[in-house]
Amino acid sequence: MDTTVQLGVLIVGTIGLATIFGTYLARMITFEMRPLEKTLARVESGFYKVIGINATRQMGWKEYFFALFLTNMVVVVFVILVLTFQNYLPLSEGKDGFSFDLAFNTAVSFITDTNLQHYAGDQQLSVTSHMVAITFTMFIAPASGIAAAFAFIRSFIRKNYGLGNFYVDLTRIIVTLLLPVAIVSALVLMVIGVPQTLQTSVETNTLESIINNNSSNSQTINIGPVASLESIKLLGTNGGGFFVSNSGHPFENPTGISNMYEMFLMLIIPLSLPIAYARLMGKGRGLAILVAMLIGFGTMVAISTSTLSGPLLLETRFGSFGSALFDTVSLGSNTGAVNSALAGMSPEAITSFFLGMFVQAIPGAVGTGMMTMIIFVLLTLFIVGLMVGKTPEFMSMKIGPKDIKLAVYIFLLHPALILVPTVIALGTGNAQAIVGDQVTPMGYTQTLYEYTSSAANNGSDYFGPSADTPFWNYSTGIVMFLGRYLPLALLLAIAGSFTMKDRKEVIEPIKTQGPLFITILVTVTFLLTALTFFPFIILGPFSI
Amino acid sequence: MNKTNNNNNHKKNNTLTAASNSINSKVILDSFIKLDPRYLAKNNPVMFTVELGFLVVLFVAMFPNISDTFVSQNQIFYVETAIILILTVWFATFSESLSEAQAKARVDSLKRLEKEVTARRILHGKEVVIKSSQLKLGDEVKVYAGETIPRDGLVISGKTFIDESMMTGESNPVFKEKDDHVLGGTIVTSDSIVVEITAEAGKSYLDEMVGLIQNATRPKTQNEIALTILLAGLSIIFITVIGTLLFSAYFLGYNTDIATLVALLVALMPTTIGGLLPAIGVAGITRLGKDNIVAKSGKGIEAAGDCDVLILDKTGTITEGSRSAVEFIPLQKYTEEDVGQVAYAASIQDNTHEGKSIVDLSEERKYIPPMLEKLITAKSIEFTAETRVSGIEFIPNKSIRLDSEAEEELRNLAKTVTSQQEADASTLEGLEETVDKFGHGKIHDLLLEMEKSSQSNQQQVRILKGAVDVMIGESMSNSTLNIAEIKWKAQEVSKKGETPLAVSINYEIVGLVVLKDSLKENIREKLAEVHATGINTIMITGDNQVTAQVIAKEANVNQVMAEAKPTDKLQRVLEEQQKGHIIGMVGDGTNDAPALAKADIGLAMNSGTAAAKEAANMVDLDSDPSKILKVVKLGKQLLMTRGAITTFSIANDAAKYFAILPAMFAEDNPKLASLNIMQLHSPETAILSTLIFNAIVIPALIPLSLRGIKFKAQELQKTFIRNMLIYGLGGAALPFVAIKAIDMLLSTFMR
Repeated sequence: MDTTVQLGVLIVGTIGLATIFGTYLARMITFEMRPLEKTLARVESGFYKVIGINATRQMGWKEYFFALFLTNMVVVVFVILVLTFQNYLPLSEGKDGFSFDLAFNTAVSFITDTNLQHYAGDQQLSVTSHMVAITFTMFIAPASGIAAAFAFIRSFIRKNYGLGNFYVDLTRIIVTLLLPVAIVSALVLMVIGVPQTLQTSVETNTLESIINNNSSNSQTINIGPVASLESIKLLGTNGGGFFVSNSGHPFENPTGISNMYEMFLMLIIPLSLPIAYARLMGKGRGLAILVAMLIGFGTMVAISTSTLSGPLLLETRFGSFGSALFDTVSLGSNTGAVNSALAGMSPEAITSFFLGMFVQAIPGAVGTGMMTMIIFVLLTLFIVGLMVGKTPEFMSMKIGPKDIKLAVYIFLLHPALILVPTVIALGTGNAQAIVGDQVTPMGYTQTLYEYTSSAANNGSDYFGPSADTPFWNYSTGIVMFLGRYLPLALLLAIAGSFTMKDRKEVIEPIKTQGPLFITILVTVTFLLTALTFFPFIILGPFSI
Repeated sequence: MNKTNNNNNHKKNNTLTAASNSINSKVILDSFIKLDPRYLAKNNPVMFTVELGFLVVLFVAMFPNISDTFVSQNQIFYVETAIILILTVWFATFSESLSEAQAKARVDSLKRLEKEVTARRILHGKEVVIKSSQLKLGDEVKVYAGETIPRDGLVISGKTFIDESMMTGESNPVFKEKDDHVLGGTIVTSDSIVVEITAEAGKSYLDEMVGLIQNATRPKTQNEIALTILLAGLSIIFITVIGTLLFSAYFLGYNTDIATLVALLVALMPTTIGGLLPAIGVAGITRLGKDNIVAKSGKGIEAAGDCDVLILDKTGTITEGSRSAVEFIPLQKYTEEDVGQVAYAASIQDNTHEGKSIVDLSEERKYIPPMLEKLITAKSIEFTAETRVSGIEFIPNKSIRLDSEAEEELRNLAKTVTSQQEADASTLEGLEETVDKFGHGKIHDLLLEMEKSSQSNQQQVRILKGAVDVMIGESMSNSTLNIAEIKWKAQEVSKKGETPLAVSINYEIVGLVVLKDSLKENIREKLAEVHATGINTIMITGDNQVTAQVIAKEANVNQVMAEAKPTDKLQRVLEEQQKGHIIGMVGDGTNDAPALAKADIGLAMNSGTAAAKEAANMVDLDSDPSKILKVVKLGKQLLMTRGAITTFSIANDAAKYFAILPAMFAEDNPKLASLNIMQLHSPETAILSTLIFNAIVIPALIPLSLRGIKFKAQELQKTFIRNMLIYGLGGAALPFVAIKAIDMLLSTFMR
């Protein structure tokens, strides 16, 4: 497929679809009528009854966060148990249980929407684990992120509108957004050629054995419930593949069409949220955020496709552009699925991937990307906003010292979570154990990438199962954990602060829309990111 | 007058230079004291970090052999780096000391003036010389030319020029007469005045200024706090970056020099804004003081920048506050002259500005009623809140005798109808006759007839003026009253934004006097500027809706609150605040006090009541209500300066990476040489020139931070674009040019 056509179809298609999804999300946020409202509401209230929650109860930011955190932690414990003891569970097919550190890493990785995989899914996970632990968590994690974004957006709607109820949001997001879309997508993927079965492998004779009539020369091909995992893997910007080679594997991503469709799935929710925001907060404001995200994403595409990647370690089916584009979409949306080995990508492409993970908002993972971009808006307004001679305001709400403090924490956290562990890994020799005694720019890049991917809750990495050591499992696990819940807590705290602010009826001193604001927002976003990470890009991918 | 002026200026310049000399040595001493790391740690985290960096580099400079891995340059380089680093910190403390000294210098010179002076207290008509500190509230003192006014007060008699240069910096002596306020410590340059003391000892303007500026623990404003957090956050991010960079480079096997890393850290940290932040805040208060406004805290100034609704009193703020007669409108039966004569008669004993202006207008048009001698001696009907009319009452055919004072007045008034000499020369009777002959018209004739009537039942004549409604009410007994005509004519007047007064003689309304309150000079332009910056103006007035609307339109006010009672002000302030607006308002009366206290920016007039001054967060010593516009401008300027330098500071950083990173690693990693886009001479010059640029930007911007950045009244969006281009784009581009230039300069000294 021609490159411009690929890109055009992708952008136009996702934005078109995102408009519909965004409208729907807006209705979910404000509890307006949705299509099939009666049926949906009945299903939902059934759930509430089963779980025993009071759907009308509003939560403050602390309560909302703790509900989210507790729910997630319950899932973590559950996943750790399933993975550690998968050999005792049905359909284990003789696969061993995970070591505790690997189970911890995997559980945290999936619940934080990271999906860093220090194991080979098709070889080490049983069908039960795939379906009960992995696929299930792949619904909870993005739903938690989206729920947080819902609460976040609600704080801006009007004073004391209420942040919502986490359990209600989680249920609604899973039942009426993720599940239906994932089911349809799974069916689409099955039609395209992705397998969906409880069988774990097929025994087949190789061509050679048929010719030689030598049945001993047969081959085992791993299959399983791939399509169901694949659809939510991308829709929820999870990224953890069924197979080690992730979306590079023909069963995960069989054709050019599936390649395009999967990119679609990764972008759809991240791009729908700004549109929902536009519906609720004013067209221009949402549009500004959407455009800023797209400019950032466009920059990533431009950088990653500026030089040819490969030809080694790339799927020839997708070629240099198809691979770079898919990976850029995946890194931009913090999904972490790749259709090619990172080692095969050009240094420029890697730089672009870093950029996506450093910013985390172009367009970023479901929920968190949107929120992070709004934090960029806040910081931009504060840095340049004083220049008009007024206390900076966001949507006619004053940005106070408390908000700045919380926003600064978020920005402080990200480099700290990436850089400090990188240095520790190098200092303790654990990085050298994988990348070789002599640390080259490439080895440095790989180490940096591992933690960047963890902190940004991305999940793609160079190491894969080779990092299945206690050090790497625990260290990346902790980084993923902190990289997810600390920002979420801070973001919800900001929401808690904004929901109590007085709104003015007057216009904002600086319009948070229009080309001028978008330009400045994008500039400040890139500047803040570049100032923090420039030296490391220089020492890493730039020097490869 | 001019001569004294020049003399004054001369003297002032001398004292100024003398003062600035002493300031300089003090400032420098103070700026060195502020280098104390404990002070910096508490007040300026950014500069504290720079100072720590200095100590690290200084240590390396003293012990260059301490490490092979992290110390790779020669000793001279470390010494140079250390010097530049400590200079950077010193520039910052210097700017702070300088701005504080500026504020203190004014206070010190003021304080010297406030030294005990002798005062001539007037006690039972005699002057008693006492010490100024013994003066009590309400005491009257006489001050002669060349003497110092002992304390703040109100002129109760006399006229003089007063030299206020020591307070206001304004070199031209200011004219003061009765009811004007004078400041303690200022000097009377001509004549003599009697002043009633209005301030208690230790509570004068001076004392307040001193208190404000000397208050070392100036509380930080919300924006300052937020900005400090942001700057501290950025500093911590850069410390993290540099710390991990050190090890990253080490593990990659690169030569890492500790001083270079410190240099990079200092270059990246927002030192410019970090260094200038305290100075900007202090300068805001000083600048307000220059405008003769005492701010009780920095908070009010900052709120002024945020102000988006100004509640303005019509009287005094938008208009001069004194209505003058401009026209006479007769009713159908009468002529303009009739109205003029009646109005003249009704106002002859009215000493208010309005009354005088009516007499003036009549005189100007030569509408002089007869029987002036009777009018000036007539019984005055004073204006009271209940009757709301004023005028005179007399019996025309009752003969009277004029005393000498009245005679003088009569002769004075007669000047309108006859020449000066004639008025002085002729006999009283002759004069009276001349006056009586002068005028014409129905009323004129009527009055003369009444005077001549020999009826024994002495007929009263009652001549009144007052608001139209009230006058109609007063005249209800008159059956010929054409209410419709009066009301219609009055409305026509109102429509033009003017105020009609009805005048009557014996309950017969003759016509209307049109009073006009002239707008303050340039008020239209001033308000247009205010609106351009996105501020809404609301005019509060007791006038009726029609008049208020017209004036509002003329003066360019957005909204009007007509027929308002004083208590409505507070109501409106609360209402607007409910909507989230930041309110600025001016007030002087005690009934303004609650509103002043509630408003975000309350500017009280010095001439106002103590309650108002207590409630407000700023006091204008000139008692000029339109100063609120200046306060708003200043507040905006303060925030803008802070924002501009922050943006500038952060925008600077991009260039610094390109200067220092290649200098650090190019030796070990040739690929990085391509980053040296500025083509700097050598790693050493690259680092030194970056640091030098970083340091000299601070003193270079001191004038800007003390003065504030240029404020142009225009749409916020335009201001934004303009400042973004100058400080954002300019801030990004400038270091590339400047670092290159410094590098070229340095490379001529170094091989």
